[in-house]
Amino acid sequence: MDTAYLKEKRLLLVDDEQELLDMLLSILKAEGFRHIATARSVQEALPLADTFRPELAILDVMLPDGDGFSLMERLRQKGEYPILFLTARGEEEDKFQGFGLGADDYMVKPFLPRELTFRILAILRRCYKGESPLVKLAHCELDFHRAEVLRDGEQIPLTAKEHAILSALYRNAGRIVTMDSLCEAAWGENPFGYENSLMAHIRRIREKIEQNPSRPVSLLTVKGLGYKLVVSQE
Amino acid sequence: MKTIPKLIRRFVGILLLSFLLLLFLNFLLLSICVKGQASNLSPWQTAQEVAQALQQDHTGYHLPQDLAQELQLHQVWAILIDNTTLQVIWHTDPLPEGVPLSYSIADIASLTQGYVHDYPTFPGRAGDNLVVLGYPQDSFWKHMWPSWDYDFIAHLPRNLLLVLALNLILVCLIYVTANSRLLRSIKPIVCGIQALSTKEAVYIRETGLLSELSLAINRASEILQSQERQLRKRDTARANWIAGVSHDIRTPLSMVMGYAAQLRDDAQLPSQVCQKAAVIVSQSQRMGNLIQDLNLASRLEYNMQPIHPQPENLVAIARQVVVDFMNLDPEGRHPIVWETEETLAFCPVHVDRNLISRAVSNLIQNCIRHNEKGCTIHVQVTSKDQDCLVEVADDGTGATEEQIMRLNSAPHYMSCQENTTLQQHGLGLLIVKQVIAAHGGSTQIGRSVYGGMSVRLTLPRR
Repeated sequence: MDTAYLKEKRLLLVDDEQELLDMLLSILKAEGFRHIATARSVQEALPLADTFRPELAILDVMLPDGDGFSLMERLRQKGEYPILFLTARGEEEDKFQGFGLGADDYMVKPFLPRELTFRILAILRRCYKGESPLVKLAHCELDFHRAEVLRDGEQIPLTAKEHAILSALYRNAGRIVTMDSLCEAAWGENPFGYENSLMAHIRRIREKIEQNPSRPVSLLTVKGLGYKLVVSQE
Repeated sequence: MKTIPKLIRRFVGILLLSFLLLLFLNFLLLSICVKGQASNLSPWQTAQEVAQALQQDHTGYHLPQDLAQELQLHQVWAILIDNTTLQVIWHTDPLPEGVPLSYSIADIASLTQGYVHDYPTFPGRAGDNLVVLGYPQDSFWKHMWPSWDYDFIAHLPRNLLLVLALNLILVCLIYVTANSRLLRSIKPIVCGIQALSTKEAVYIRETGLLSELSLAINRASEILQSQERQLRKRDTARANWIAGVSHDIRTPLSMVMGYAAQLRDDAQLPSQVCQKAAVIVSQSQRMGNLIQDLNLASRLEYNMQPIHPQPENLVAIARQVVVDFMNLDPEGRHPIVWETEETLAFCPVHVDRNLISRAVSNLIQNCIRHNEKGCTIHVQVTSKDQDCLVEVADDGTGATEEQIMRLNSAPHYMSCQENTTLQQHGLGLLIVKQVIAAHGGSTQIGRSVYGGMSVRLTLPRR
């Protein structure tokens, strides 16, 4: 999967525990992220945001001189970029889900490094999709920016629904995405009764991206559950 | 609020009964009195008897001895007036002074109606002559002009009943007015006592007839409220304490888990070290789950977890949980088989999505935890009559009948007041039970057809 351009993004980490910052640094560096700045308080974070100009901020909710939510608001005044929250409080899930505070995602501690990098990449992919290079699949390449499939030198256009479904699958590349989430991505909230339409769209996508649509290798079916997009590794 | 009307009915009933009883008693007493008097002295009758008993012979008129004595005993005098001369032709001795011996017709009419010299007089017919008895001056009072309007007498029974009814109404009115004040002060007290039983805060104005009672009820309410507040405070403190502890553990645990996972995935380290790191990762994951469960369980137990039910599709919820687990377990040590019928795309329920996800995920987590060497987990959503069911089953080690029975019935240490050795441990299942119960459903633990354990959650269909 071509994620090299995402790993060039500038990440700002804000947490009051130095040890946790160290660990995050070590995890993210091991994953290949190169531009990371850290701050331990709101006071440190604000000037740093001006000079460093982050493209993704990872904030702790509880900071010694304020809370992550108000820091988010102040950061958003300086620039529009995605924000991922780390929280140590399970009950804040309600806050995130109920009120849509404008955070792009949140993670409850403790978390696995794999989960963290996955979420970071998913957010970056979603927010910077315009810059995404071609996505390589087994038998073709996807150009999300132009909504096209490039196959054997041919450019096959994607419809809006196909693009939405493929984008949702690509954000979670290598993972199963439930048919319910795909329907939601294509038809909005409460997507009841679209299962058959989804199957029809999947069939048409396969005709565009697979060599043999009845024996797919890139867009796999997980019976009864959903679909998985397999992206070629670099 | 049926107490007050009941009370009024009872009061008025007693009043009417006592009224009727009193009337009856009065009539009885009156008739006894009247009867006793009439048998003793009936002057009209005596006059008639004297007139008939008076004998005439050649020496004049004579009264039999016994009658003469009777008259003397009661100090009654008697005269006989001749029809033609209007003169007294006979009289008892002694005749009081001033009683005339000669009468005009007007005198006779007057003495028939009333008195002679203040002696009440009673005439009796003796042939064509007239016997007149004179009683002592203070023995009788005579009604001298006894004439009544004819209509009055003709309608007397009706009028009497009317007067009686009027009296009855009047008495009732007086009674109700007098008692309404009492009832008015009883009403808030009754309402207050009823409110007390529902744990509401009660305040009754401490005035009126029953102010002491109001005061007592207000005090009782204050005591109950303060006890309720204390309990609530203690529960909140306990839940906050648990929330605080779990919060403080999460950050250090993140570091343990993060570094251990890095070591586990480090290709340069010997495989034995990687395996040890893997154990640290899985155990810290377990601790993470435990902390999360502990927090949620305490919030559910102390009613501090808000539940936001929404119309949801149970199939979609279960599917997402299953997929999350599959995405986290790419090695497939615990493969999950989705057994739901393809035709069942929609199973409508009214639930808090997060909490139900948590319940299903706890069940899968339990299968994994109790079968560390691996097992196949079967998840099935079915729709039956008025219910939607999720069943999570495995082909793992399972449990004995006794263990299953205990899981179904024994209290958990979080919700048990007694120190019994039978209490359950492990929060995963407790949360499942709490969450499902909060949604009006039920949890059934049993043996699975695949050989291991099975837990079936039943939720009412929307």
